[in-house]
Amino acid sequence: MSSSLLRQDVLPVAVGYLLLMGALAAGLRLTWRGGHPPAPARGGATAATRDGPAGTARDGHPAAAGWLRLVRHYAGTAVGGYLLLMAVVVLYYYGVARVGGPFIRSAFTGCALLIALSAPVFALASWLTGRRRSRAGRRHADPPAPRATP
Amino acid sequence: MAQHPVIGYVVWAVLFGALFAWEGLALSHISGVPTLSDAFRAIMRYPFGRWALFALWLWLGWHIFIRGWHFLLRG
Repeated sequence: MSSSLLRQDVLPVAVGYLLLMGALAAGLRLTWRGGHPPAPARGGATAATRDGPAGTARDGHPAAAGWLRLVRHYAGTAVGGYLLLMAVVVLYYYGVARVGGPFIRSAFTGCALLIALSAPVFALASWLTGRRRSRAGRRHADPPAPRATP
Repeated sequence: MAQHPVIGYVVWAVLFGALFAWEGLALSHISGVPTLSDAFRAIMRYPFGRWALFALWLWLGWHIFIRGWHFLLRG
């Protein structure tokens, strides 16, 4: 690894990562010290994120409905965000900065590639979270049977 | 690496420093200021806010990971 790569790429990323993690750790520590319980999800959470992808833990809906809702929510956000960014890129770079051709093509294909790469990871993370929640819910629903005492 | 006036770097450092300071203040519950999470939650209540945040995330990811991409850590 060349020294310029270390200096220009690895070092700034590492410093940024340490700063961010340090700030988060300090905040958590202060929160715990103050005796504040972790904040529950507030009104901003959407139905899909609130219920989890499985959709069974709280409202008793079938799992498929929860997944369908999550997929619809994700697709709406991804398509809307992609179109919004492309509109801004085309308007600014083509209309104002006069940078066209390969740059704009790279924006279209690069952002699409990013979505294609991140979607499976997001789906896997959602599935793991849903599984963990449903396991935790089952554990709370079935408390250990009381011991028979003479 | 291109040479830029030092003031440019200082401005970026001050901006990021202010961001971290604000977040630290919010997390310490001293002043009742909203955290970044609170702000993002408020923005994400609305579809357009979610699109704008997703567009920002895409723009950042495109610049950091996709543009000028070459095989991992090739010197």
